[in-house]
Order: sequence, then C-alpha cells, then structure tokens
Amino acid sequence: MKSLDPRVNRLPTLSREITTKVPLDQLGTYEVFVQAKENKPFQHEGIVHASDIELAFVLAKETFTRRFTCVSIFVTDTRDVYVSALTEGTVNAYDTLPPYTPNANNILENYLIFHLLKRGKQHVLAGKVTASTPQEAMLKGKENLQDGKPVFNVWAIRESAIRHTQPEEMVLWKTLPDKKYRDASDYKAGDKLTRFLAQRKNEIL
Amino acid sequence: MKEVALKELLYKIADDQLILGHRNSEWTGFGPLLEEDIAFSSMAQDKVGQSYALYQLLNQLGEQEPDTVAFMRNAQQFHNCQLVELPNGEYDFSLIRHFLFDTAEAIRFDLLSQSSYQPLADLAKKIKGELQYHTLHANTLIKKLGSATPESIGRLQNSLDIALPYALGIFEPSPFESSIIAEGFFAGEAELQKQWILKVDALLAQTQLKPISWPTVKAIYGGRNGQHTEHLQPLLDEMSEVFKIDPTAEW
Amino acid sequence: MYGGGNTFEAIRTDSLAQEDPEKLAAFEAKIERGEKIEPTDWMPALYRKQLIRMIEQHAHSEIIGALPEGTWITRAPGFKRKLSLMAKVQDEVGHAQLLYSAAETLGKTREQMIDDLLSGKSKYSNIFNYPAFTWADSCFISWLVDAGAIVNQLANAKGSYGPYCRALERICAEESFHLKYGHHCVIFLATGTDKQRQMFQEAINRWWAPMMHFFGPSDKISAHTEILMKWKVKMGTNDDMRNQFLDMYVPKIWELGFTLPDPNLKKNPTTNKWEYTEPDWEEFKRVINGEGPCNKERIEVRRIAEERGRWVREALKAPQAAYVTPLA
Ligand SMILES: [Fe+2]
Ligand SMILES: [Fe+2]
Ligand SMILES: [Fe+2]
Repeated sequence: MKSLDPRVNRLPTLSREITTKVPLDQLGTYEVFVQAKENKPFQHEGIVHASDIELAFVLAKETFTRRFTCVSIFVTDTRDVYVSALTEGTVNAYDTLPPYTPNANNILENYLIFHLLKRGKQHVLAGKVTASTPQEAMLKGKENLQDGKPVFNVWAIRESAIRHTQPEEMVLWKTLPDKKYRDASDYKAGDKLTRFLAQRKNEIL
Repeated sequence: MKEVALKELLYKIADDQLILGHRNSEWTGFGPLLEEDIAFSSMAQDKVGQSYALYQLLNQLGEQEPDTVAFMRNAQQFHNCQLVELPNGEYDFSLIRHFLFDTAEAIRFDLLSQSSYQPLADLAKKIKGELQYHTLHANTLIKKLGSATPESIGRLQNSLDIALPYALGIFEPSPFESSIIAEGFFAGEAELQKQWILKVDALLAQTQLKPISWPTVKAIYGGRNGQHTEHLQPLLDEMSEVFKIDPTAEW
Repeated sequence: MYGGGNTFEAIRTDSLAQEDPEKLAAFEAKIERGEKIEPTDWMPALYRKQLIRMIEQHAHSEIIGALPEGTWITRAPGFKRKLSLMAKVQDEVGHAQLLYSAAETLGKTREQMIDDLLSGKSKYSNIFNYPAFTWADSCFISWLVDAGAIVNQLANAKGSYGPYCRALERICAEESFHLKYGHHCVIFLATGTDKQRQMFQEAINRWWAPMMHFFGPSDKISAHTEILMKWKVKMGTNDDMRNQFLDMYVPKIWELGFTLPDPNLKKNPTTNKWEYTEPDWEEFKRVINGEGPCNKERIEVRRIAEERGRWVREALKAPQAAYVTPLA
C-alpha cells in the first residue's frame, strides 16, 4: 500500500485475504465506575472489553479518566451487577421489587447500591448495605438509601466482585491536572488573532 | 565537569523518553483492541511529555529550546539507547520493549527522586504515578500473554530474545558515571541494572517464558555515545519533516 | 467526528403495523415528554434497527476518522503539537469505543459491527475517504471537520436514546478540545509565513467539497425520515446542519483572510440562510460506494489492524470472561 501516512507504509501486508474477523474473539464486558473528587460519589461511566477484571481495571483507567480530575475508579463484571426493573413517570423502581424473605442463616456481605435518578443520566452510588443476597441488598437499599426522590433503576453489586483502586494506586491520577494539552482552555490564540486582524484592517485602509 | 555530567544524564533520559514515546505513538489507531489502543497512546504521550519536561530542565541549564533540541539534532547527537529506536515490529515486540524499558524507567525515576539535583528529584516524584501505571499495564499484559496460547507465548519469547541485548544497552555506563554518582545526581547505571534484573526475573517467573540466563546475553552498547542503528535517522527525518519546512516559523 | 444522517435510506414503516399499538403510543408519548429511552425499555423494532445503524456508523466514522489525521501523528511540528495531535487522535479512538458500547446496549456486538465495517456492509462518514496531503490538511480536519461533527453531535445529544446521549455528552466535552486545538493550529498558519498561509489555503481548496458533502444530500433529494425525527433519532435536516455550520465557520475562515472555492457562497440577508453552489451529489454517491481516493486504504488499514491484533485478543480470551450486553 502506498500511503501518505508513513506509518501505513510500514504496515505489513496481509498474507491472506481477510474479509471478516475470525468468529468470536469478543472479550468479556466490564462496567466502569469513576469517582471524580474525594467527596463525590462514584458514578457509572461505561464499559470496557477485557479478559478479566484486572485487565479491565488497567484499560478502564485510560479509557475513562484521561482528563480533568479523578481520585479513584472501580470495575466489575457486567454479570455481577444485579439490576431492578426500569421504571418511568412517578413509579419508584424500589416499589417494583418482588417480595423476598432472606434466610436468616446466610452469610452477610457488603453490597454497593446504585440509583438512576433521571433517565438518560448515569447510575450514581447511593451507599453500601450488608446483605446475604442481591435481593436482600436491594430491600435494604429501599429502607435505608432513599431520599424521597423516585429511583428509576437500582443496581446492587457485591463488593467482593469489585476491583477497587488500592490506596497505593491513588497516585495514578496525580499528574492528570497537569495534562493541559488535553484541555480546550490550553489553546488560546486570541492575542495572535487580534494583532493579525488589526494589521489586516490597516492594510485594507 | 559537574554540569557536563548532569547534562549528559538528562540528555540520555530525555532522548530515551522522546524516541520511545514517538515510536509508541505510531500505534495510535492501529492497536489490537480499542481500549489497548487508548492506553498505549496515553503512555506514549506520558513519555513525550516527560522528555519535554527534561529538555526544559536542560534549557534552564543553558541548552537550546526543547523544540530545537528535539527536532533539529541529527542521529549522532542523540544519546538514547538503541532499544528505543528499533521499529515497532508486531505488538509482541512493542509490548516486550515497553515492559523491559518501563521497568527500568520506573526504577530509574524512583532512584532519581533522591537526586541531589532538586529539579530532577521533583520531576521524578511528580511523575511517579505515570510510571506506576506503565508498569502496572506492562506487567498485567506480559503476565497474561506470557501464559496464554502457544502463539502468544512463542511471540513474546521470540521478541524477548531479540530485545534483551538491546535492553542491556539501557545501562551502558556514562563516561561521567563516577562523577554522576559522586555528585549524588543518580545512583548509577550498575545499580539500576541490578534492581532491574530482579524485577524482570520476578515477573517472568510468573509466566511461561523462559528464565533469562543473563551471562549469555551480550549487551549492545553505543546509543549513549551517539552510535545508532540505521533506524534512528529516518525516524528523526520523519519527526521533523514539517518542523523543518521552516524551523523559524511558529507552527 | 461524525458526518450527519448522510446514509439514511428511505424508511419502510410497514413493520410498525406489527407493533402493539398501546406500547407504541406509550413509547412515543415518552419521547414526546422528553424522557430518554433506556436499553431495557420496550421499543419498536424499527427504532432499534435505525439506532444501531446510526450509532454504528458514527462509531465507524470515529475509528476511520482517526486515520486521515493519524497521517501526521509522527510529523507534528514541535512538542506541543505532537502531544496535542496524539491526544486528539486518541480521543477519536476513544469515541469509537464509547459509541460501539452504546450501540452494543441495543444487542449488536462490537465484533459484529467491526465485521460489517470490514466487509463494507456498513458505512462511515464519507469525508474520511479523502487524503491529508500536508500538515495543513490535518489542521483543516481538526478545526473544521470536527466543527461539522460538533454541529451534528450537539444535536444528537438531545436525542431520545439514553446510552447514545451519555456517550455524546462525554464526546462533546472532548470535541471542544479538538475544535480549539484545530483553530489554534489554523490561526498559527494564518498568521505565519506566506508558505504557511499557502499551505492552509490549499487545504481549504481540497477539503471544501467534501466538507459540503459532510452533512449529507440536500433535503430536496434526501430520503424521508419523518418518523426518525419524531422518535428523536435524527435531530435535524441535512440542510439545517449544513447551514448552521456555514453560519458559524465561514465568517471565521474569511476573517483569517482565506478564500472559499465557491463563488456563489453568501448569506442571503432576507432568508438568513446560506446560498452556495449545489454540491456534486453524484460524486458523493460515488465516493460512498467505494470510489473515493482513500476508501480502499482506510478499510485495508483497519483489516490489517484487526488481523495483527487477532493473536492478542485470542490469547486474552479467557474461559471465565464472557461477552454480555452492556447495561447502560
Ligand atoms: Fe513509561
Ligand atoms: Fe474530534
Ligand atoms: Fe470524535
């Protein structure tokens, strides 16, 4: 291939004709949550494809936190997110939970509960509960984590299924605010432009 | 003497970061999966940014502007090790180089955070998180691909064998080595290499790649001295193609 | 980056007769109220199909759009430009990642979408089939092609599908960097040497026709998409988008003392609309159907990238990880 892009000219040529990819090399799906500032709740930001939770964490960091500020992220396998019904209007998703009686002998675990407070927006961390099952976690969320506004969707995630940012990893985002070149505010050319326009005006006159 | 030694140290580190950052940036848009494409590009940017910061330190020591230094020198004037100028090859080679180089880089800057030259120590402390990410990324992928399929293990092994002699070239001693150490600028290449071998061995032990028999690996030196492979000058010509249309213009 | 609703075809609405009328009415009422549709909501099959098609095309435009500017990534002049262009092209790859994910919530895997890109079954924005001859071309793209994309994306961000809107919100925030960066580059060329000015003027001359094509065929000849407008899938007509773009950027280009290669280009003071020589829509069709100067190269590069990355993805495929549809 003769290209204007020197990188393309260096690409190897393919030894065989490829029209479609080999079937199913699609990796797993992991949900990514980001905490922008110390006192802000974690918020769902999107997904990455990865082979496992550790790689998902590594890839999520640059996919979702390349600019502005970030103090911490976490990832979890999409299959580990328990999801309530999605409601609309004035219907609260918590009111649609099926009846459930937890077994008192079960082992308790921490669950993170996320709320969708407005359709079209992100799921935001509402708090943590201890429960033996996701169903129980949602019921506890219903009791303890509501503040009057209808919740349109609830997610419950077992904390042991989460890859958190470790304390010694907080430093990963330290130079983020210095990476001004990723920010629109770093591209000011107003002075140059003003001088140029003034000069042109003079030339025309 | 003292300042010459310091500048030599700064130049070689800066040149390493610039050339490898440039090489790695070639992957942007061509990566093996979108998320990895993004991560690899970020690390390339970090490296170019770090070289920029180092050339600024040199500028404060009386050297020319970073742009002039980076875009106007020819290959013989560059002090980078040859490892970083080699073409990207396939992803296995780029990844192995990234692992070998960044393991050394992270230790180097960790040692530099104790430098008696305060601006350098400050920079080293500041970028600790960036380097930590680079090694986290490299280690995660080498561990996975180094133990996955026969193809992935074979590819990494092959690239490792090719890269190792060049990787030892990272630690080519400087003519000012003793002065650099005596002045407390840096703990020295020998110390760096010692720590690096431990880290590389420890990580490879977690894979199905062969343990390295270090005495059989012969270091390829010369880069620190301005002797380069045939790949560096074309890289520089390409990098400065637009800049040299008019080096006095603002772009 | 993204080029408008340019490959919408005439929509066949017959499938709507099979939808449950009550559900359909509730769905339309929800959109009418300005509420967003989320992945697990009921939706007509036609809505799902058209959304997948649009978001997928948008995603392809981002990943292919990384290539023309990528042409200059190893040659950006000076540290600042080098860092900026790397970050800018990286963002475009990131936009593809975000958009494929949004489309995935509708039930098509990223892999299927990429397959369809490589086989030519699904399209991407036509403008990326043109070559970036000089550094100035990359500046034109960063500033003006991105500006055109922003006009589209800001409109689409007000659309009805939640995951797409969320992706676009992130994307638009990043685009503001692209736009400023691009304008910054162009101001430097415009206020620089004669050679620099000439480089940019030549880039304009090369890119103006594709730029006019960017927003898609004129409303007079383009397919009827009323139902998509009603469902807030398509958020404005091609001509409206084009007019918005001209309104915002032609004065800025003229201000810098450059000319545009269309003697008929002017704003009509009574209608407040821009008038221009009708773009050559035959050429547009030819290029979309594969006859452009770079179509082959763009797809071939993606094929090579996919093929070279195959061993990595195969090796990473772990039995415990499984592909599932993203949640939101
Ligand atoms: Fe690094
Ligand atoms: Fe953009
Ligand atoms: Fe984009």
